[in-house]
Amino acid sequence: MSGFKTLSYRAALREALIEELERDPSVFVMGQDAGPFGGVFGVTKGLTEMFGVERVFDTPISEALIVGGGVGAALAGARPVVELQYADFALIAMDEIVNKAAKWRFMHGGGQSVPLVIRAPEGVVGGLGPEHSQSLAQYFWSSFGLKVAMPATPADAKGMLKSAIRDDDPVLFLENKSLYNRRGPVPEGEHLVPLGVASTWRAGSDVTVVAWSRMATVAAKAAEVLAGQGVECEIIDPRGISPFDLDAILASVERTGRLAVVHEGPVTGGLGGELITQVVERRFSALKAAPIRIAGADTYVPQNQDLEGLLTPDADAVTAALATLVQSSR
Amino acid sequence: MTDAQLLHAYRIMERSILLDQAVLRLIEEGSARLLLHSGRGQEAIGTGVCAALRDDDMLFYSHRGLIQLLAKGMQAGPLLGDFLGRVDGATKGLGAGIVHAVDPALGLMGSSGTLGGGFVLSAGAALGARKLGDDRVSVHIFGEGSANRGTFHEAANAAALWKLPMVWLCENNGLSVSVAHREATSIEDVADRAAAYGMPSRIVDGQDVEAVYDAMADAVARARAGDGPTLIEAKTLRFRGHYEGDPQTYRSKEDIAAAHQRDPLRITAEKLAARGIGEAQLAALRDEEARAMEVAVQAALASAKPGPDRIYQGLLAESAAA
Ligand SMILES: Cc1ncc(C[n+]2csc(CCOP(=O)(O)OP(=O)(O)O)c2C)c(N)n1
Repeated sequence: MSGFKTLSYRAALREALIEELERDPSVFVMGQDAGPFGGVFGVTKGLTEMFGVERVFDTPISEALIVGGGVGAALAGARPVVELQYADFALIAMDEIVNKAAKWRFMHGGGQSVPLVIRAPEGVVGGLGPEHSQSLAQYFWSSFGLKVAMPATPADAKGMLKSAIRDDDPVLFLENKSLYNRRGPVPEGEHLVPLGVASTWRAGSDVTVVAWSRMATVAAKAAEVLAGQGVECEIIDPRGISPFDLDAILASVERTGRLAVVHEGPVTGGLGGELITQVVERRFSALKAAPIRIAGADTYVPQNQDLEGLLTPDADAVTAALATLVQSSR
Repeated sequence: MTDAQLLHAYRIMERSILLDQAVLRLIEEGSARLLLHSGRGQEAIGTGVCAALRDDDMLFYSHRGLIQLLAKGMQAGPLLGDFLGRVDGATKGLGAGIVHAVDPALGLMGSSGTLGGGFVLSAGAALGARKLGDDRVSVHIFGEGSANRGTFHEAANAAALWKLPMVWLCENNGLSVSVAHREATSIEDVADRAAAYGMPSRIVDGQDVEAVYDAMADAVARARAGDGPTLIEAKTLRFRGHYEGDPQTYRSKEDIAAAHQRDPLRITAEKLAARGIGEAQLAALRDEEARAMEVAVQAALASAKPGPDRIYQGLLAESAAA
């Protein structure tokens, strides 16, 4: 049995890239400043030195080229990992992501593969303002040919990125910027985490809390506090939105009778609305209370960091909302 | 081009015209509900381009690209199957109309429905070939109207910067649906843009298959040698409407008639005649192609329509088995 080592989320991602670049010569990495500089978030640091400029290199400021070029390279048989400097820039490459990466296989009859990974740092942190801080997974829930992964822990970051690189479908890999420094145990040796399989962070009988990415860590803190108050939360991290492990959530809701969805992006048009609908359609009778959404404010991310801090729910807000949900329906 | 190459080009042009006619007949008979963007008038380009390519070279074809698919080696049968939405179609019954056929063995990579999408994909395919260490060349055929997308700039800059093994082939027929080139673009020749990226360019007579072939052969050799991309602009003529049914109110009858004066099929026949391949031989070839097309039409009509499950197949790798 191999043991664990402690790594940051950033280092875990970097290890995944190193291992896959070593394993498969058809893997290459490109992005703005992803070459010798090592990426603005440092995930690709040292990789050009290790693998050469042919394998890990810079691109012009050309988001359509970065993603669309990745699609073309994948169609040609390579396994590109492309980095968008900020996830927000996915909006510039929407045609390449939604119309090309996601649809090319379907549109052309199903006989090709697009084994592309698009790494995109997302999330509200650091005073980066409205165009560099979005959490935009909700835009992709209806891109059926695209997988969307959102790891929350270093172990998941490593294991899911390795799986994404080996996957024959395009994967949008959303890395939460505020998690890059988060440290945690990562299994030694080959470590793969399948895409689309939920992780249960904590078992509990009172409420099913579905929380992604950074918000899973916030929900976990809230659950600690609530445990002291006699409220047992079951925290499920779906690890992304596509494929989506709805079965895990339905089974949990059957046990708890309550559902709360916690995510960083805005409430309106967000992940919670769709997930709650799917659960209500299937398990209405199991619910003891109306499901709730605890999510980002319906506005844009301010640059002022004091105001930015008001945008997404913190552990106190999540604790209060969950306590109300459970106590009002006991 | 050798005699054999030129004769093959003529055959493919003939096949493409027969395919257009067969599709129009199917529409009139009510067998097919579809959009057809006829490439009539532009046949010398697809045939000239593909004559200079290897099977494994990668082609991103245009929405007017039936001739390009045929010239790269796809049979008419699967294309007819697609037009009719049958399981024997190249997309196993999913497509109908604007062709999204692929065949990796023939280097047929697909076509972007959002115009200009092909610029970045074809550059990426060239990048992919480079990363895999092989010497395939990637080719993208597009209209002059599409060249006004921003993707042109992003792909041209990167292709030239990285000396990607690719060839850009602009079919300039002077029209993008109803809008004349001069109403949409400040320069007469799209080829002028190449210099801005540090990429060589050539302007050729797009009605002359040999002119297209010669420029293409040079560009492919250059790309394969690692010297980077070339932009070829082929000046051409669209004989028919943008799509079948287009009333062409934006175009005079004289303009359309003048276009027909420069029919690539006739120009190719004249070239063949000058080489001693006369009308009798071409007539026999036409008969052969017409018979084969009829067989393909009947086979496509006899093919089954897909079941309702077809709409969920091919979204992801694990759902691809159809
Ligand atoms: C991004 C995008 N914009 C508009 C269209 C609609 N459209 C389809 S064909 C066409 C004209 C294209 O003109 P051109 O590129 O010159 O090619 P041609 O049709 O003349 O061969 C247009 C506008 C589209 N498919 N995609």
